[in-house]
Amino acid sequence: MLKVENIKKSFDQKEVVKNVSFSVDKGEAFGLLGPNGAGKSTLISMICGLVKYDQGDIWIDGLSVKKRPLEIKKKIGIVPQEIALYPTISARENLLFWGKMYGLTRAETKRKAEEVLSFVGLSERAKDKIETFSGGMKRRINIGAALMHEPELLIMDEPTVGIDPQSRNHILETVKDLNKSGVTIIYTSHYMAEVEYLCDRIGIIDQGEVMALGTQRDLCNRLANGTVIEMKLTNLNEEFLQYIKQIHGVERVMIKPDTHAIDICINETENPLPEIITLAVNANIQIETMERKEPNLESLFLQLTGRSLRD
Amino acid sequence: MQSLHIAWNDVKIRIADRSALIMLLLLPLVLTAILGTALKPIMSNEDSFADTTIGLYTADSDSLARIFEEDVLRKLDFIKIESTNKEENLGKMLKEGKIDVGLSIPTVWSENVKEGKLKEVRLFSNSDKELKAAVIESILTSFVSRVQSVSHTTNVVMADLSTSQAVAAGPGEVTELASTITVELTNQGNEVTPITDRTIGKETVSSMQYYAAAMAAMFLLYNITTGAKSFIKERDLETLARLKISPTSDWSIILGKFLGTLGFACIQFLIFIMGTSLFCKVHWGDNVGQLLAMGGAYAVAVSGLSMLLAGLIKEMRTADLISGIGIQILAFAGGSMLPLSQFPDFLKRLSDVVPNKWALTGFLEIMAGVNWGEILPAIIGLFLVGIAAMLIGTLRLRTR
Ligand SMILES: Nc1ncnc2c1ncn2[C@@H]1O[C@H](COP(=O)(O)OP(=O)(O)OP(=O)(O)O)[C@@H](O)[C@H]1O
Ligand SMILES: [Mg+2]
Repeated sequence: MLKVENIKKSFDQKEVVKNVSFSVDKGEAFGLLGPNGAGKSTLISMICGLVKYDQGDIWIDGLSVKKRPLEIKKKIGIVPQEIALYPTISARENLLFWGKMYGLTRAETKRKAEEVLSFVGLSERAKDKIETFSGGMKRRINIGAALMHEPELLIMDEPTVGIDPQSRNHILETVKDLNKSGVTIIYTSHYMAEVEYLCDRIGIIDQGEVMALGTQRDLCNRLANGTVIEMKLTNLNEEFLQYIKQIHGVERVMIKPDTHAIDICINETENPLPEIITLAVNANIQIETMERKEPNLESLFLQLTGRSLRD
Repeated sequence: MQSLHIAWNDVKIRIADRSALIMLLLLPLVLTAILGTALKPIMSNEDSFADTTIGLYTADSDSLARIFEEDVLRKLDFIKIESTNKEENLGKMLKEGKIDVGLSIPTVWSENVKEGKLKEVRLFSNSDKELKAAVIESILTSFVSRVQSVSHTTNVVMADLSTSQAVAAGPGEVTELASTITVELTNQGNEVTPITDRTIGKETVSSMQYYAAAMAAMFLLYNITTGAKSFIKERDLETLARLKISPTSDWSIILGKFLGTLGFACIQFLIFIMGTSLFCKVHWGDNVGQLLAMGGAYAVAVSGLSMLLAGLIKEMRTADLISGIGIQILAFAGGSMLPLSQFPDFLKRLSDVVPNKWALTGFLEIMAGVNWGEILPAIIGLFLVGIAAMLIGTLRLRTR
């Protein structure tokens, strides 16, 4: 369905996307996980033809985005990160307008608008102006507008940013249903839980680079001999951290902001734990708790980048 | 096709914005009414907007007085006449508000007409009715000066006739001839020609007409900034990005925005024409086709300029600033605030470059009644300005 090959993009000599390659199969739900500024939106803008890439190429159904933009645009639906709707006209009018922009006939547009409204659960508010909607409702119409032309590929750029948990769950359900009905999904987020829930395959992206790519299981298996230990300590000093980092088998150390807790990535075959504990005792630092974390994307991300997904 | 949808959506969004709607549709009508009435002394013109009631006292049945009453005052449909048989009544009627202006015509008004002199007519007025008094006074003086010039000519002609034709005809016939000439000439004098600053075409243009045309030219100018703002807004709302990722070409998007502004400008123009004709009794000339062509070409010009502006600026605030100051300057330069006739020469020449002046003079010419040939250059010029501006704007917007 989608193939991204060696894509590069710079803004003012700053490389924002560095040699990114990945592909997404038909019917798949693909997650793009990365922190703020990782280059997710830039990547999406290039896929939908809004931003030109400097190098490489992108194909959708075998058509190059560079050469056949109009045909490709009909196949894909984009849910932009920002709400891109007209605030002073009603939800229904917005949907009708976007339907027409995709060349739907009058009758089709009307039918589809009602369908989409009920799909996102806002039939009752159809006549109200978008500006009177809550954040979550706007997000739902923002998604709905991308569904009017029944795209084969739906690309969603952080569709749940800044909304309440209830709306978020509603949106996640909606996306899951769409995927079940055969729509290929690309979903970007910096919430690991969303991506874990929705996506079959995941790409982890940081500073414009794909750090890891694979199914959830693949990725977690990569953690099989890499474990994350969370330690809560009574106090903490820089010297101690430096010592820990030098221990054989310790791959990364990360301090959780505003706490005395640290996450330590270790390689269990090297068994560095006893040495860490000894070091703490010698440095007069008491260990309050110590916990092995379940391998998940967050710990993988930590392992890969030494940083947390969310700041 | 896509362009039309974008245009229609654009018009719909503007109509949904009530405050902007009032600003663009209602305000021009109100301003026309106010300016047309208030600035009348500058234009010193007849005015169909004001109803003036005159209290008239004629001391006797002098023929000149009768002509003035029957053929001048009663022919003006904004004047009502309350006759009275006592001069003193005029003051009373004025105080009671029954009349706006009082006129007292003396006995044998026409007595000295042959010497080119007239007895003084007394005019009574209130300070709060100064405007109306000024109108009546100007009609009166215009009539008197006409009569005087005519009588002067009559005297010359009669003197001529009596010398050259005295042999051929008897003295009785000369008197007869003279009296027909006098009647003919005085009749000519009776045709009221109000004092106007400018006379173009077949008819004269009143102050209300001038300001109606001026307001049409000025308020359509605001489409330059509202059109540009509507484009910038699409960018700010990210709907522009969404339009670009839909299968719609950049050209269609920009054309759509252009057509939206054009559509709104046309609606605004039509409403203004209908409103001023209906409520202010403005006569926009007899040729509707010319009026629509001129209005349409002007709408194309402002819509094109709006796309050019959209290509030049990025910030909403810049657009607001331009709409606050730039449009006013253009409107002033184009004669929408002060009549063009009052401009000093260098300003007149300067104002030739602003398209709103072409539109304003075009409207005035149509009101006065001209043939197509005279307004065609302005129509074509406006149209070309619009298309050229739009193309330049498009090029700039596409490379963004
Ligand atoms: N038009 C632009 N001009 C200059 N720099 C840009 C532009 N667009 C994006 N960038 C830069 O590219 C980098 C990646 O931005 P991008 O929006 O793709 O990140 P993101 O992964 O979507 O982040 P977020 O989770 O915050 O949405 C950022 O450093 C950003 O400042
Ligand atoms: Mg983003």
